[in-house]
Amino acid sequence: MNMNDLILYEEPRIGVFVCDCGSNIAGHLDCADVAEYAKTLPNVVYVKENLYTCSEAGIVEIKKAIKGQNLNRVVVASCSPRTHQPLFSSSCAEAGLNPYLFEMVNIRDQCSWVHMGKRDDATQKAKELIRMGVAKSAGLEPQEEIESSLVRKVLVMGGGIAGLSAAQALADMGLDIMLVEKTSNFGGLLQQVHQLDTGGSARALLSKIIDDVQSRSNITCYTKAIVKETGGYIGNFEIKIDTQNGLIKDKVGCIVVATGAVPLIPKGLFGYDGETVISLMELEQKLKKDDLTARRIVFIQCAGARTKEREYCSRICCMIGVKNAMIVKEKYPLIDVRILYRDMQMYGTHKEQMLWDARGKGIQFDVYNPDNPPEVKEGKVSFFQSITGKIIDLDTDLVVLSTPLVPRSDAPAVANMMRVPTDQNGFFLEAHAKLRPLDFAADGIFVCGSGRYPATSTEARTQGLGVASRVAAILFKDKLVKSAIVAKINPESCVGCKACLTMCPYEAITYNRDKRICEINEILCKGCGNCAATCPSHSAQLCGYKPEQLLAQIGAA
Amino acid sequence: MTNDILVLGGGIAGIQSSLDLAEMGFRVHLVESLASIGGKMAQLDKTFPTNDCAI
Amino acid sequence: MLDVGRHPNITLLAYSELEKIEGEAGNFTAIIRRKARFVEEDKCTGCGACTEICPTSVLDLYNEGHAERKAIYSWFAQGIPSTHVIDPDHCRVLTGKKCGICQKKCEADAINFDQKESILELLVGAVIVATGYDVFDPAKLPEYRYTQLDNVITAMEFERFLSASGPTEGHIYRPSDRKVTAQIAVFEKKVKKSQKALDRFEKNHGQDSVEFYSAYKAGSLNANDDLEKDQDKWAKKYEAHLENATPLEALKEKAKGFTSAKNLAFIQCVGSRDLRFYPFCYGYCCMHSIKEAIIAHEHDNDTHSVIFGMDIRAVGKGFEVYKVRGGNNSNISYKRSRVAEITKNTDESPVLIYEDTLEQKVKRETFDLVVLATACEPVKSTQKIADTLSIDVDAYGFFKTQPADPLDTSREGIFVCGCAHSPMDIPESVAQASSAAARAVQAIMKKNNKKAS
Repeated sequence: MNMNDLILYEEPRIGVFVCDCGSNIAGHLDCADVAEYAKTLPNVVYVKENLYTCSEAGIVEIKKAIKGQNLNRVVVASCSPRTHQPLFSSSCAEAGLNPYLFEMVNIRDQCSWVHMGKRDDATQKAKELIRMGVAKSAGLEPQEEIESSLVRKVLVMGGGIAGLSAAQALADMGLDIMLVEKTSNFGGLLQQVHQLDTGGSARALLSKIIDDVQSRSNITCYTKAIVKETGGYIGNFEIKIDTQNGLIKDKVGCIVVATGAVPLIPKGLFGYDGETVISLMELEQKLKKDDLTARRIVFIQCAGARTKEREYCSRICCMIGVKNAMIVKEKYPLIDVRILYRDMQMYGTHKEQMLWDARGKGIQFDVYNPDNPPEVKEGKVSFFQSITGKIIDLDTDLVVLSTPLVPRSDAPAVANMMRVPTDQNGFFLEAHAKLRPLDFAADGIFVCGSGRYPATSTEARTQGLGVASRVAAILFKDKLVKSAIVAKINPESCVGCKACLTMCPYEAITYNRDKRICEINEILCKGCGNCAATCPSHSAQLCGYKPEQLLAQIGAA
Repeated sequence: MTNDILVLGGGIAGIQSSLDLAEMGFRVHLVESLASIGGKMAQLDKTFPTNDCAI
Repeated sequence: MLDVGRHPNITLLAYSELEKIEGEAGNFTAIIRRKARFVEEDKCTGCGACTEICPTSVLDLYNEGHAERKAIYSWFAQGIPSTHVIDPDHCRVLTGKKCGICQKKCEADAINFDQKESILELLVGAVIVATGYDVFDPAKLPEYRYTQLDNVITAMEFERFLSASGPTEGHIYRPSDRKVTAQIAVFEKKVKKSQKALDRFEKNHGQDSVEFYSAYKAGSLNANDDLEKDQDKWAKKYEAHLENATPLEALKEKAKGFTSAKNLAFIQCVGSRDLRFYPFCYGYCCMHSIKEAIIAHEHDNDTHSVIFGMDIRAVGKGFEVYKVRGGNNSNISYKRSRVAEITKNTDESPVLIYEDTLEQKVKRETFDLVVLATACEPVKSTQKIADTLSIDVDAYGFFKTQPADPLDTSREGIFVCGCAHSPMDIPESVAQASSAAARAVQAIMKKNNKKAS
């Protein structure tokens, strides 16, 4: 029996610390009165009112009291646990008290802030909240943080510019990488590109990166290979890859999804026939082969994008359209080039400069209205020119359709296998649109490149490098440590009804066929408590929020 | 020879760089010229396209 | 933000500047100047008692000058660190006057008027430049009359108006109206004072001051001796009162018609896509305006917004849907136009003159408030930073990188991300920040490996 077990059998000795927060709390309620009241609560053996419990002096008070007063529970009544719980619970740990025996009561946000000007009511509510907190704390149990090992190997799915860049950076960081590409060549979509928007050939850039990746001893490259299965969890994913030399089973710590996207083939749009009406990618091929005979070219932007069916702007097609129009004009100055567009999406410094330059080269730009789109018929493009209010007929011998990037056809299967979500357009959905653009909500799995959303080569490279940071932040640690606030299922009472299984948003619960019970993977569990709320036999319980703890808290209300 | 990293600027970019580096185990010195970090984003009420609070 | 303040691996040096850097990748020596806060960082708890009591008010730049802060302040309420700072240009003590009231009030004993700036020397292996951007000053465009017209404001100012913690607590009151309201407050204070004198008169002489003054003016004052000798003095006091009360009444009358701004115009590309200033597009402002219009509509469903732009650039993930939804649900219309000029009408409402390119007509349209989506420009100190670090800037004034190495500056071991690199939105900044971190680690680990082998 260790010290922590002993605490379970000891009478609770609770210390309560009431924070004035300067005038933030004490200005709007009577903290001295609240502290006096706390002394009368059951099991409370020590109460202290501090000007600032979070200050150096306040923390010393807590530590001193834990030792001197032999406290085995600590309650701090102050501000938000979101900001200060880690400080207080780690201070308890420093004084030798298990950090899970700490409870926090928020008398700032919930009392002084929302009941400003009602001093008596705010004071009364603070007393009640502290009574509840104290009642809960008496039943708290010590917990040990959960640790697990980490495999310092990374699976990168997709060998386009994003995946290649991720592999390069991770290799520099000393991690082992398995780079898996479905086709026979690395390079992804960029292989089909003739010249980069930033100048220079796409092939030159790619071969430099690919050569580097292939020369690294810690990158194992697989082409014509498909990831068949991914199981396990962060730090310990179990993967199966179908390679040219048979099935490989391995373990990796993290997974990077860099599977890219494909350009839409504009079948049925604007009379697409692949000959006189072609897609932007087909124009790239023509330019690559120097095989352009047309005299008058019309580009139509947003072909198949920003429609009801595909309600997104594909971000890069305006730039690619303008880039190719400029290459045409440079190579064949006598060709007439006109671009019909809805909004010219030339964001940033460099792209807008392209637009100025394109105009300077004599490329003409006209706006069209999506409600009244251009018509392509027998060598003519007609459209309504809004600035003159007239319908214009353009003789043309080549129409180029700028089509959006769309998710790969196997994206849903990849998403399904990894248990990661996609958005309404089928692109992979990151954990947070603003703050976690490269993470999936599932721990240990990351996303970069056009599989997430259309990106230029520079953007995809940036994201690929960025993912390396996100991965290294996990795999550079000695081990994985996570909070002990997880659910547990009592195998004695579980009847295997699987009700919890469907409720778990993190797929942390599995059904054990042999024992006929449900089991929780505590690494995957995020402590949401859905299973505990659902379990009809109360077998699933959330540590730190067990029914008896919560009932004690509610009973004191 | 040192493994410490200096980050100049405490806006969202500087903050994210620092956190990533710190999580990777590197010591970071984050220099901000104003009295608090947060940068321009801290002046924003909400952010597109999710209308999340900026702070 | 909070995670930065708490992370054991991060030393936060706020209110500090890089002075000098020497050495090379893997082995830089950086000299950091820590400005004097006049508040001890290890003592201050950020409670704000000092701010409450400080008698000196200063324009609050966090709120874009639409509110006031004190001479001892924190940059904003949730700022990290929460350590306060004294503004040496405005603090009474630091400008040689008598005060020090904050020092007496501070229970943490954190105020130190004798604090000096200090110099810190750091050894670092790599540097990440994330110095951000500045907002373009739209007063440089004569046609939009920013600063001359009260109700023409920038997107960042509008942002503060929308914020519940901002100067108007989230209500969109027009700056011209706020000026009047502020004047009313000033006159009310004066009237209260002059009214006190009249009350004294009425108490002393038992006579209504209005009657007294009209009789005094008409020369028909039937005064007792007592009043007779003071009548000029009291009449002067009454006149002084009128001097305040009359304009107060007029202002109050004017203020009766004030409502929050409901008819909003947003003008895109102010200072950008404009060869007079910045030729580039900074990419996020169309979305910024759409967001502000949506939030304004959320606050008040009667709000109608028109966004004037050459193109509406909604290029990021989920942006197009957001734009369309704004149009459908939030009363936003998008007009393809570059506004030529802004004037005003008699009630201070801005009048826009623009060509409606769909109808091929020049139009005049009146709005309650105009928001200028101002360009993002390189920070004023760009050249100084570039010189200090010996790195190149590009044609626009952002720190230069190459497309194949999008985070590497011209000097080995120094990387750049965010708007210091080029204008970009938040998710891009965040992604780039992670990339710059990766580059810094790559650089350091490569050096280490070379040393080891």
